[in-house]
Amino acid sequence: MARAPSFRFEVAPDLPGADTISKYGFGAIRRLVHRLWDVTVEGVENVPLDGPALLTPNHLSFCDSVFVPASAPRRMWAIGKGEYMDSWKTKHLFPALGMIPVDRSGGDAAQVALDTAAKVLDGGHLFLIYPEGTRSRSGNLHKGRTGAARLSVRCDAPIIPVGHEGTLAIQPPDTFMMKTRLPCTVRFGAPMRPSDFGDPDDPRLLRVFTDAVMFQIGRLSGQTYVDTSAGKSDTPSPGLPPGRAPSTPALPSGGTAESATEAEGGPGGWRAPLRVVPAIPSIPAGRVVDTTVAAARRGTEVASKVVDLRERRAGRTQEPTS
Amino acid sequence: MNLGHLIEEHPADRVALIDGETTVTYGELRSRVGAVRARLVADGIGVDGRVGVMAGNETAFVVAALAGLGVGAAVIPIRPTSPLPELERKLEVVAPDVVLLGESGAWALAHQAGLSAPLVDVAELPTVVDDPPPVATRRGDDLAFLLLTSGVSSDAKVAMLSHHNLAWVQEAITVNAAEGVGPDDTVLGVLPFTHIFGLNVVLLAPLRVGATIVLQQRFDAELSLELIRTHGVTTVSGAPPMWQRWAAAPGPDDALATVRSASSGAAALPSDVFEAIRDRYGVEIGQGYGLTETSPVVTWSRGITIRPTSVGQPLSGVDIVLVDPDGTPVEPGDTGEIVIRSPGVFKGYLDAPDLTDAVLTGDGWFWTGDVGVFDDEGYLFLVDRIKDIIIVSGFNVYPAEVESVLMDHPAVKGAVVVGTEHGETGETVVAHVSGEVDEAELDRFARLRLSSYKCPTEYRFVDELPVAPTGKLIRRELR
Repeated sequence: MARAPSFRFEVAPDLPGADTISKYGFGAIRRLVHRLWDVTVEGVENVPLDGPALLTPNHLSFCDSVFVPASAPRRMWAIGKGEYMDSWKTKHLFPALGMIPVDRSGGDAAQVALDTAAKVLDGGHLFLIYPEGTRSRSGNLHKGRTGAARLSVRCDAPIIPVGHEGTLAIQPPDTFMMKTRLPCTVRFGAPMRPSDFGDPDDPRLLRVFTDAVMFQIGRLSGQTYVDTSAGKSDTPSPGLPPGRAPSTPALPSGGTAESATEAEGGPGGWRAPLRVVPAIPSIPAGRVVDTTVAAARRGTEVASKVVDLRERRAGRTQEPTS
Repeated sequence: MNLGHLIEEHPADRVALIDGETTVTYGELRSRVGAVRARLVADGIGVDGRVGVMAGNETAFVVAALAGLGVGAAVIPIRPTSPLPELERKLEVVAPDVVLLGESGAWALAHQAGLSAPLVDVAELPTVVDDPPPVATRRGDDLAFLLLTSGVSSDAKVAMLSHHNLAWVQEAITVNAAEGVGPDDTVLGVLPFTHIFGLNVVLLAPLRVGATIVLQQRFDAELSLELIRTHGVTTVSGAPPMWQRWAAAPGPDDALATVRSASSGAAALPSDVFEAIRDRYGVEIGQGYGLTETSPVVTWSRGITIRPTSVGQPLSGVDIVLVDPDGTPVEPGDTGEIVIRSPGVFKGYLDAPDLTDAVLTGDGWFWTGDVGVFDDEGYLFLVDRIKDIIIVSGFNVYPAEVESVLMDHPAVKGAVVVGTEHGETGETVVAHVSGEVDEAELDRFARLRLSSYKCPTEYRFVDELPVAPTGKLIRRELR
């Protein structure tokens, strides 16, 4: 339907997708995307043509990882499941799209992913990361995780907020085929730097900066923001029954406060475990009311009003599909 | 530990208190406490009784509190400057069997007829009796103090703290801590003993280890500095407004030469105050964190490298988890509500099971209502109070962040932001500002430094902002 925007194939010998097959493969995918779908790209001038940057799109559909890279003027890399390399269908295609496989089964998977991303950025390349962590099932924009902000501080790389719409209709959840000839818009926002939002050495900045980025993504995508993780339901909970403990999250690297105390022993020798959740607190019985109020305030009643983008959203289906 | 035995082991000639011109040794203190204990026993007050202590930072406070603990009663410290109607209300709520008065509380005697509890002036009691009654037997779980929580929250609550609650924190910050308070320390006692910070950190913990406490009844920056110099004070704890005044007080720049530990609590210490003290006196102030309900210390900065904007690291034995509103622990590096489990966590609020159930679980987790974040080295940083969060278009706006940006403007003297209802965005940010500043100029200043949803949509200029003596802003008065 349209010509792909101008593009430079960035050579990065130490990253996946440097081979000739990937080069021509990705070029073909880009051209195909712009032929088969009505792709509108806005703000492409916000993507720097040199140097590192993080691209942080909203996440609605599997095919976001195709449309966003196909809309940018440079290649970008992202972390993907190591399992994709086991399948013949994906083991050539995904690295060509910039996927760096990371084994997520190890105990330090999160650290490995961060280090991998840092390597991409330190090499002066673009890195794509979905701050919501997973696809939004409701169509709303969810609370951002702080990894992108952390990388931005660590690697002194700006964040380019990205908002797109249309991919959910092109490839709804749990479908393999992508419906062609539908519209899709990808908008790149102005670069954001942590130092514009506070002291990069202050750990409080991570959440401040993350929220600022999510706000911009919401403006670009036209989504309503909800302050809950994408993995959780964003409908207001009626509150947990008194005394019920929340679900137990996985301990990132094992251990409890007790074992840490034993391990390091002695008075004053123990500090708060860092990447270890020391214990799962239970919720006070009388807390239920508060949770409901907070959830209700965050959930439905407070709708993000992004006036200038509402018109463009009108045609999009936002019904939850699960 | 039975707090009634707090001072029994120390040598009789060691100095416990320096109160103006008077010096009180541990021997004399034990004798005076015994005499007041005799009076209480004679009045029929013993185990499960309630003894009010209405005194400032004076010897009478120490004598009365230790005597109350010694007969096995729950001690209720009452601010001696409480206005009469407030005093009447407090006495109704906590219903003491007797109120022991210090010099600064003696004014209440004139109003005895209208008060619900009998008053006794400690100055009228003997300082020695021949055969003082023994200290009553108490278990660690028994009630030691009833503390009125500090008045920034609208509804006053009375926290029940056990002997073990306080004793555990005392040990954690003295014998069990690196560079903890020890018998050779001299402590400046200027933070009010009627507040948990002054009571347990500045008074009881040092008494427990046999240190010397220099009492200062009313805050006066110059007098503090003189006391520090005269008595070779090694340990100074203050609230942020005190540190601010000490930074600017006249006097020599070596006034804090003997101080080896300087700490601040009760409210966030502004970084310019930290820098002013460091640059002038060569002393770094370490911040701590705690609440009345946690006896109070849960994190502090002694024995570790001080980070000026952090409240330090958790004490050994304190579990802290940061959680989402639904109780799920947040990811490392993210902010969440501070939830604490520690032997210092209180027994609940007096006569208020519903209030207790809203913050304390059966297995001992206390939900503080404070939002914080840990850095990679386990330092805790406070963000704000949960109930002060303003929700704009679904996003959390922390008033403290907005206020700190507004305060950075050179013409702004004070700033408080609150949320008000807004049809489009749910809530919106309203700033109350004092200082000679142009609204459009301040708005431009804020917009350069804050995400647009955090920027105030309305500015209200006021002459004075409501601030509590601890330095906390009284936000509810502006809602």
